[in-house]
Amino acid sequence: MGDVHEVPRPRIATAHLAQNIGKPVCFVGRVVKIHPTGKLFVLSDGEGKHTTVELSEPLDEEISGVLEVVGRVTNQATIMCMSYVQFREDKSPFDLELYNEALKIIHEFPEYFPCG
Amino acid sequence: QRIRSQNIVPCTVSQLLAAEQVDETFRIHDVEISQVTIMGIIRHAEKAPTNILYKVDDMTAAPMDVRQWVDTDEAGGENVVVPPGTYIKVAGHLRSFQNKKSLVAFKIMPLENMNEFTTHILEIVNAHMVLRKNLMSASRVPQSFSSTGVGGMGGYGGGSSLPVNGLTAHQSQVLNLIKNCPVPEGMSLQELKHQLQNMSMATIKQAVEFLSSEGHIYSTVDDDHYKSTDAE
Repeated sequence: MGDVHEVPRPRIATAHLAQNIGKPVCFVGRVVKIHPTGKLFVLSDGEGKHTTVELSEPLDEEISGVLEVVGRVTNQATIMCMSYVQFREDKSPFDLELYNEALKIIHEFPEYFPCG
Repeated sequence: QRIRSQNIVPCTVSQLLAAEQVDETFRIHDVEISQVTIMGIIRHAEKAPTNILYKVDDMTAAPMDVRQWVDTDEAGGENVVVPPGTYIKVAGHLRSFQNKKSLVAFKIMPLENMNEFTTHILEIVNAHMVLRKNLMSASRVPQSFSSTGVGGMGGYGGGSSLPVNGLTAHQSQVLNLIKNCPVPEGMSLQELKHQLQNMSMATIKQAVEFLSSEGHIYSTVDDDHYKSTDAE
């Protein structure tokens, strides 16, 4: 399996999960809900679409706001999370819709934003 | 002539890793770069007496080594290590040592507003697109070119031999001929010599070599046939 942090991880939105099954990805979204077991949570992307993120170990902290998840897309089109980081919003809220627009641009111009 | 970016160019780690080194300079898509900015998350930080080594990850490749030299005379200040898990902006110079690329940072700043990251992504696409277009437009030479055999008199004899948009008159003429050639396998050196009767084969070959190294043309079936990279 290897360490996904050593390979390119395309930035994707929920709509791109299906075409990235099995691949390492980077997903940014806002926390919608957390399962009571702490082993899965749901993020909403810049288009309001939901993605389920699974963890191998339950969360050991409270999570909220915008998360950037690094992981691998499962066959069920969920993301098996290898690591995550919370985007700081103490000074300014993160514009997730704008980030989604930026994703469209980088997907349209891979020659100017190569991933791998 | 080389197209050189005088500015500081926002890049992805993947672009830096793919940059080609020619002597002391680096090129991304034939554009010379030196000072760059990247944005990524610190995965690892290691403090040594004279420098701090970070591994910065922007998801486009494996984390990149970023070295920040510290002023050993200064107490505190510059010597504070930014903790792993922090998103930072790095401004620095690209280096390559034993085939491994790294950055020497002259400025490292934690991001306080993550919207800057979104902006950075867009700036990367914009910067590289503009740099590439500037390079390509250098091949669109405005001087007139007669297809009825140049002879060189009207075309460039009267004109200056100073570079126009980065190309000399010889190079421009060769490029224009190649661009206008409709044949799939491109234009051959022999055909160029036939059309440019005043230019020696040596001059033509020099022009072809320059144009090829700058990315205006590429060889097709063999080293004697060339097509333009600027698709009409």
